[in-house]
Amino acid sequence: MAIDKSLLTGGTTMLLLKLLEQEDMYGYQMIEELKKKSKNVFELKAGTLYPLLHTMEKKGFVNSYDEEANNSRIRKYYSITKAGKQALQDKKDEWQIYAATINDIIGGVSFAY
Amino acid sequence: MPIDKTSEFIESVRQQIRWKKAQPVVIEEVENHIADQKNAFIQDGLNEDKALDKAIKEMGDPIVVGEQFNSIHKPKPDWAILLLISSLFILGILIQLYLFRNNDLSSNNIYGQLLGILIGIPIFFIAYLFDFTIIGKYPKIIFSFLFILNVYYIIEGNRVNGAITDTIYPLLLFPTVYAGLVYSMRNKGYIGIFICSVAFLIPASIAFVSPSMSTLLLLYISCLTILTAAVVKGWFKVKKLLGLLFIYLPTLFAFISLVYYFTIFSYRGERIKIFFLNDKSMGGVNWITTQIHTLLSNSKIIGTGSPIGQETIQIAESMPAIHTDFILTYSVYNFGWIVFAGILLLFAALIIRGFIITAKQKSVLGYLTSLSIITTMMVQCIIYIFANLGLMIFTPLSFPLLSYGGKYLVVNMFLLGLLLSVFRTGDYVRDKKGILVGIVPFIQYDNGTIHINLKSKTTK
Repeated sequence: MAIDKSLLTGGTTMLLLKLLEQEDMYGYQMIEELKKKSKNVFELKAGTLYPLLHTMEKKGFVNSYDEEANNSRIRKYYSITKAGKQALQDKKDEWQIYAATINDIIGGVSFAY
Repeated sequence: MPIDKTSEFIESVRQQIRWKKAQPVVIEEVENHIADQKNAFIQDGLNEDKALDKAIKEMGDPIVVGEQFNSIHKPKPDWAILLLISSLFILGILIQLYLFRNNDLSSNNIYGQLLGILIGIPIFFIAYLFDFTIIGKYPKIIFSFLFILNVYYIIEGNRVNGAITDTIYPLLLFPTVYAGLVYSMRNKGYIGIFICSVAFLIPASIAFVSPSMSTLLLLYISCLTILTAAVVKGWFKVKKLLGLLFIYLPTLFAFISLVYYFTIFSYRGERIKIFFLNDKSMGGVNWITTQIHTLLSNSKIIGTGSPIGQETIQIAESMPAIHTDFILTYSVYNFGWIVFAGILLLFAALIIRGFIITAKQKSVLGYLTSLSIITTMMVQCIIYIFANLGLMIFTPLSFPLLSYGGKYLVVNMFLLGLLLSVFRTGDYVRDKKGILVGIVPFIQYDNGTIHINLKSKTTK
């Protein structure tokens, strides 16, 4: 299923923060997880993911650290910060209002009361 | 056919990132991603070549991706710290100007300070742009250079009342070089800690023969902080507790004997007594302490303090070197305690912010370097503040950026510039790699023999 990209970009940060809220991950892992969780709806491109992660790190939403993978390659893991958790909460609230409003207008079923 | 399509792609991305320092970190991550993606495609049944092609295609347009990275990764100074430094710097100039205008000090003096300012500003910016990782690459060379410079000063340098004064400036740089030295001892075990301890004795003995006990205290606190931080970070790959004992038992012993020596056998004990007993006898070393008490007890919260005695003497003449050693006492008396509080607040903010960013450093080199600079600043401040409040156990060195002294200003500006350099590039600095194999216990009992392992072999 193809979804208009502009609808997604704002939400991607939220989705990534949500993933990291559960556990620390490296970039590739996030793409895979997102794909799995969304049943192949969200296929995030690496070219989008990394600049986004780096921006989030500059904003202080995530921290990164190096860890050695079993093949002695260094992997960069990301972990969510306190500020990141706050941002996730804010974005979630924002999204609920947004989704509810859209549903109101187009006449779908509103799931956010 | 290009042999390596990955490098071709990577190269296009790299070319878009203008800041060279940021390139390796970004590139490594992208490379890893391509490798992971390729392996996943191979597992899905594609052959090596096709998997790679597809993995690269998944990345998107290298130019677009590179441009995005470029706009994110740009060198940025820490504005808060830069602002605090500039405020203190300007405040220092204003106070010195006021002091020189209102007091009859020799006019030669102001040119010395002016020269310090003129050299200090460019030095600050040079240090800011300086690649601080050089400290971690060549610590022994820099260490030796500073040592030779000090030996030269001991033989040829200026002497004031028999004391060598010039050694202080290179010694202020020692903690930072020491950070580099500790950094270079990664995984060296107890031998590493031992080498660092012995290395500390070199600047310490220079401070001792100079003699400047304040510098000795500064070196002591800074270097001990660095060494402790390194052990706690697991840098030497030794058990933390044992490593700390290895450092603290001998240093504690040395410290106690020094304190004992100085409080019992020298004028320092007298000074402490004066401070607490508020003894007004005007003899010898007590005189300065008494002067400070007089000035401070006549100071107001805001504005100039009440006149002292019958005769209207110039305040700067009431004490020797007031612009160098007692600029805070002078400010309290002339402008009120509020200015003192303001200065303290600015400096506390600088140090606290410094510690916060230091704690976030990704590399141990960045961490230790900024730690060394902050402790160097902090100890100077604390000694100075104590002295200016009348508790003169240690003679003040300088109050960074505020007190008179061109050479001090230049050295401190260099260190602060370097601190900003660490904060600007620290996120992109990686420590050289060393792989942990295992920790060897310090003492091992084996078949009736006791093994003491000074070196825990852990790297490959």
